[in-house]
Amino acid sequence: MFLLDAPITGRRQVARGMFVIGMQAPEIASTVRAGQFVNLGWSAGPLLRRPFSVYRSDGVHIEVVLKAVGEGTRQLLAMDVGEHISCLGPLGHGFEFGAGTRTAVLISGGLGVAPMPLAARDARQAGARVTWVHGARTAVELCSETEGDEILWATDDGSEGARGTAVAASPDAELVLACGPNRMLAAVAERWPEAQVAVETYMGCGTGVCLGCAVPLQRGGYDRACREGPVYRAADIDWGALPSHLAYAVTA
Amino acid sequence: MTPDMSVEVGALQLRGPVLAASGTFGYGTEVPLLERRALGAMVSKGIFLRPREGTAPPRIAETPSGMLNAIGLQGPGADAVVRDYAPKWAGWDFPVLVNINAESASEYGELAARLDGVPGIAGFEINVSCPNVEQGGLYFGNDPRAAAAVTEAVRGRTKLPVWVKLTPMVSDIGVIARAVESAGADALCAINTFVGMSIDLNSYGPRLSFRTGGLSGPAIRPLAVHLAHQAARAVHIPVIGIGGISSAEDALEFLVAGCTAVQVGTATFVNPKAIADVHDGIAAFLEAKGFSSLAHLPRYLPRD
Repeated sequence: MFLLDAPITGRRQVARGMFVIGMQAPEIASTVRAGQFVNLGWSAGPLLRRPFSVYRSDGVHIEVVLKAVGEGTRQLLAMDVGEHISCLGPLGHGFEFGAGTRTAVLISGGLGVAPMPLAARDARQAGARVTWVHGARTAVELCSETEGDEILWATDDGSEGARGTAVAASPDAELVLACGPNRMLAAVAERWPEAQVAVETYMGCGTGVCLGCAVPLQRGGYDRACREGPVYRAADIDWGALPSHLAYAVTA
Repeated sequence: MTPDMSVEVGALQLRGPVLAASGTFGYGTEVPLLERRALGAMVSKGIFLRPREGTAPPRIAETPSGMLNAIGLQGPGADAVVRDYAPKWAGWDFPVLVNINAESASEYGELAARLDGVPGIAGFEINVSCPNVEQGGLYFGNDPRAAAAVTEAVRGRTKLPVWVKLTPMVSDIGVIARAVESAGADALCAINTFVGMSIDLNSYGPRLSFRTGGLSGPAIRPLAVHLAHQAARAVHIPVIGIGGISSAEDALEFLVAGCTAVQVGTATFVNPKAIADVHDGIAAFLEAKGFSSLAHLPRYLPRD
């Protein structure tokens, strides 16, 4: 875990309203694993830091993907190259890639693309053929950047790829990884109880002390999205007790 | 020359006036980044005698310059604290006090007795912002007799320092402060969070599943400075100021207003090095003003 003052190195648009911000954070970039996140703070920002899954890393820079969902993300998107973001990470427990996995499917909904480029990289390194299924409401909201051996699209309105959800459009695979709205992840859990899913929660500290990001478990009790999560075995979560709609979340 | 930052809180000698507030530093073992060099003392996450699951999510909601939390005192219980954490605390170079919680005065006493004498536990901070199950859920901290009864119950079971963390949700904090001082408290911590509520305009209901939560952060600081000052005026034991401190200037306001030390809480979520920053900033202030010791800082504390 590192706390860095990271200069912004770039910003680009990847879908309608969806942007990628890059920053120089070598200690984090060289150690981050797929599914882990950073907790970002900036001057004049909101009181609490905001968690973002790491989207890409080249060993020196990291990228996060976001939409302007509130005042905080609007401020982040208005920052210029060279301005600094306080970057705490890498945080949380990422995806696990067992050796000898032959097929992997990555399922993302909307901003759930966030951990997938790193997941695709690591799944391929583990020897898997990667299919990425990406869903959004409509074609212009689909992330234009993709990774993997096969890309499948799904849109609610049928304007690109399959009409319907990314979950419905997904083939089966030995390894299933998913990130998106909790409602989508609950559907993943029904179809693939062994899938690994990155959940959305509100977060306070991001480091395991405040217990604000409680995730209800099937076995009873709660643990911390920021520490034991944000990646869980789908069947381990009590989906009925996990809030399904959050104004901002780990993927936002 | 670096000013002398040490303070005495009752019988406890602390190397600095900046303490970690309960619930914002866990058990001190979670985050390697949380700088400990400047810590005067740490107050653990609040515990009950038995394990507690805590409340359903959402548990936190950000508000202007503040946050609401309703964690529900999730924790592993006294036995786990004794087994898993106290042995680590015993090796640290600053004291660790345990924040204790219960549903009856006798249970507070039982919890103190369970933890008393365990190496690594240097004292207790009583959280009186708990509902008194034997009296229809009335909060101990809102009633001077109940607050005193809890303090006596703990005092009777330990020789270690006993601090009482006061709730701001009272009409006269001085009355409660005097009651727990008379009951044997060694120090007061003022204040705990304010009870607040925030509404979600999409669901037309509360943003927290518990409906209400404790408000902390810079939003409460002027309220907290006033209440800590009122408490300090009412008693002769030390008062530890708490409430929205994120900078040395914030901490100095509490110190000048009559507090012996301060606790930093929510700021640690934002800045994991907040305790060290506040400590270093106080030292720099004293040096700039020509004070060789924190003890020489002028205080504004007219007596009632």
